[in-house]
Amino acid sequence: MKKLLSALLAVLMVISLAACTKPVDPEPTPAEEGKVFNLWTWNDEFWGFLVKYYADEKIDDFTVKKGDVTIKRTTYVSDNMAYQDALDAALLAQETAAADDKVDMFLAEADYIIKYVDSSVTMDVKSIGVTDFSNTYKYTVQAATDSKGVVKGVSFQCCPAALIYRRSIAKAVLGTDDPAEVQAKLNSWDAFDAVAAQAKELGYNMIATPMDTYRVFSNNVTSAWVENGKLVFDANIQAWMEQAEKYVAEGYAANASGVWDAEKTNEMFATGKSMCFFGPAWYFNFCMGNAQDPEKGCYGDWAICQGPQAHFWGGTWMLAATGTDNPTMVADIMNTFINNADVCEKLVRDEAQFSNNQVVNNKLAADATYGNAFLGGQNDVAIFAELAKNIKMEHVTPYDQGCNEGLQKYFQEFLKGEVDKDTALANFKDFIKTAYPSITVE
Amino acid sequence: MDKKQKKSEKRSISYAKWGYIFIIPFFIVYAIFTLYPQILTVYNSFFEYYRDGLNVIGPNFVGLGNYAKLFTPNLSGYIPIVKYTINTFILWVLGAVPQFVIAMLLALFFTSTRLNIKGQQFFKTVIYMPNLIMASAFSMLFFAMFSKVGPVNQIIMASGWADEAIDFLAMKVTVRSLIALMNFLMWFGNTTILLMAGIQGIDESLFESARLDGSSSTQVFFHITMPLLMPIFIYVFITSMIGGIQMFDVPQVLTNGIGTPNNTSMTLIMYLNTFLGISKNYGMAGAVSVLLFIMTAILSTFVFKTISKK
Repeated sequence: MKKLLSALLAVLMVISLAACTKPVDPEPTPAEEGKVFNLWTWNDEFWGFLVKYYADEKIDDFTVKKGDVTIKRTTYVSDNMAYQDALDAALLAQETAAADDKVDMFLAEADYIIKYVDSSVTMDVKSIGVTDFSNTYKYTVQAATDSKGVVKGVSFQCCPAALIYRRSIAKAVLGTDDPAEVQAKLNSWDAFDAVAAQAKELGYNMIATPMDTYRVFSNNVTSAWVENGKLVFDANIQAWMEQAEKYVAEGYAANASGVWDAEKTNEMFATGKSMCFFGPAWYFNFCMGNAQDPEKGCYGDWAICQGPQAHFWGGTWMLAATGTDNPTMVADIMNTFINNADVCEKLVRDEAQFSNNQVVNNKLAADATYGNAFLGGQNDVAIFAELAKNIKMEHVTPYDQGCNEGLQKYFQEFLKGEVDKDTALANFKDFIKTAYPSITVE
Repeated sequence: MDKKQKKSEKRSISYAKWGYIFIIPFFIVYAIFTLYPQILTVYNSFFEYYRDGLNVIGPNFVGLGNYAKLFTPNLSGYIPIVKYTINTFILWVLGAVPQFVIAMLLALFFTSTRLNIKGQQFFKTVIYMPNLIMASAFSMLFFAMFSKVGPVNQIIMASGWADEAIDFLAMKVTVRSLIALMNFLMWFGNTTILLMAGIQGIDESLFESARLDGSSSTQVFFHITMPLLMPIFIYVFITSMIGGIQMFDVPQVLTNGIGTPNNTSMTLIMYLNTFLGISKNYGMAGAVSVLLFIMTAILSTFVFKTISKK
C-alpha cells in the first residue's frame, strides 16, 4: 500500500512538474491552446451573436466550431441565483478542472459583475491582448475594472434605457406621437403623474406594472444598497415605493405583476392598454416578442424618448476567467465585439442592439436613412447615443441582484393587497438577513 | 461421520461470509453518500461558515450559536422556524388526509372480490401517472394554468363566473390548496398501490368467513382489513409524513421561492434553501437540518408507538 502511494505521489509530482514547465516554454505557439472553449451564460442572447458573427460552423444549440476549436456553451437560468451558484462552483474548482473543462469566458450582468471583477477568478484582459478601449463607452470599462484599476472584461453592448411608448395610445392621450413632443410632456415624474391621470380618464394605463419603473429609480440612487455593512433604503428607492403604491391604487398601472410575467407582457399585444414601458435596446429585441407577434402584436406602433430620468438597465459583460487555456480566443472574441466595426454595425442594424462602439453608433445616429422599423422608422440609435452620455455606474455592491429582485418580489405582495406595507418591508429585510449573513439589517 | 460434520461446519461458515460480502456494497455506499454527509452536517452546524460573494467566511466555531439564532424572533416578530414548521405541517395534512381516504377507498374497490372491477391494470397505471412527472415540472404547469392570464382564469371569465381574473397564486387559501392538490395528485396512486398490496396479503378466507357469518362491509373493514393492514398503513403514514416534512419543489416553484403570500406557504426546506442558495451558509443550513432530523425522528417514533399500540 505504501509503495503504491509513493509511486502515485511520484507520478503526480512528475505531472505537476511537467505542467509547470509548460508556460516557461520560450515560444508558446497557438497550437498549445485548448481545443475546447467553454463559455458560461444565463441565456442565449450573446450566444446567438457569437454563432452569427464569430463562429465558422454551428454544430448544435450548444456547440459551434471556430477553426479547429469547439466552443461550448454552458447555460443556467439566472432566476433565484441559479446561474451564479453554478458558476461560482465551477470557478472555485477551476484550478483542479481538466483543461477542456475549465471556464474560459463567462458572462456577467451589471447587477453582480462587481462580485467577479473584484476577485481573482477573473484576469487582466490587457495582458492577453485586449488593449484598445477608445471606442467603447467609459462606464462599460469602469464596470469591469477592479479596485486596483485592472480591466477584467468588456461589454458587447451599451445599455442606456429609454421610455418606450405606444404611438397610438400617445396620440389618443397626448395628441401626438412625435418623440420630441412626447418627451417634452414626460420630462419629469410630476409631468409623468399628470399624464398618467389623463391616460386613466381615457381608459388607458400609464404603465403595465410599477416593477417597470423600478430601474429608473434604482439607477439614480445616491447611496448603495449596503453601506458599511448595513442595509440602506435610498431616498430614490423610497420614492419608487411611493410611486408604485400610488399607481396601483389609482389604477395608473395595469397590474402589479413581475417584470417578466405573462400578465405584463400580454400588455404588449395590440389589445394592451398600457402606454409606457422602459428598457434599453436589447429590450425590443428580446423582451417584446408579444409586440412583434404577426397576428396579435402591434409592430411599428412604438417609439422611444428619454423619459423622466436617464437610466440604464442590465448589460452583459464578457469576463476572462483566470486559468483559461484559450487566452488568444478570449481576446479575439472581446476585440471582435468592441472593435470590429463591421460586426458592431450588424449588431445595431440586424439585432436591434446598441453596440459598445461609439464610432459605429455615432455614424448610424447621423445616418438619415437609418431607421428601426419596429419603432415606426425612428432612429433609435440617435436617442441612445444621447442617453449613453449620462450613464453612471455608481453605488454598486455584490448584493444588488438579491436586493433589487427581493424588494420587488416582497413589495409586490403589498401592491397586490396581501400584506400591509410594514409587513412587506419586514419580510424583505428578513429575507436579506437570511440570504446575506454579512449584512446588518435593522 | 467426523468428516461430514466438518464439511457442514465449513459450509455454514462460508455461507455467512458470503452474506456479509453481499451486503458490503450497500454499507459502503451508505457510509460515503449518506452517513458521512450527515455527520458533516451536524459538525458544520456548530460553525459560522458561509460565502460572502466569492470569499469564504469561516469555518469559525460558534458552539450552539447557530441554533440560538434559529430561535431568535425575526423583524416581523415571529420565530421563522416555528412558523415554517406549522406551514409545512398544514400543507402536509391538507394533502395527506384526502390522499389516505381516497387511496384506501380505491384500494378496497380494486381488491374487492365482490366488485371484481375490470381493467384494473389500466386504472392502476393511470392513477400512478402523475407521480412520473417531475414535481417541479408539475408545479410549473400549475403555475402557468392558474396564473392571472392562464387557461383556468380564461375559462372562469368566459363562462361568466367572475368579472375579474382571480389571482390564485397570491392568496393564502388558494396557494395552500393548490400545493395540497398537487401533492395529493402526485401521491394518491402510489399510496393506493401500496395499500392494495397490503390488502391482498390478507388471507382471503378471513373475508369469506366473515361474510358467511353475516358481517357488513363496514364491520369487515374495521375488524379485519384495518387491523391486519396496520403494518403497511404505518409504513405508508410515516413515509408520507417524512415526505411532507421534506416538501420543497412544489411550493418553491409555485411561489417563486418566497412562499407567497406573507411566507404562509414557506416550508422548512425552502427556508433551508434560503440559507444555502445565495451565501452557501453551511452553518445555519446545518442547524436547520439537524433540527429537522430530530423532529422527524421524534414524530416517527411517536406515530409508530401510538398506532401500533392499538
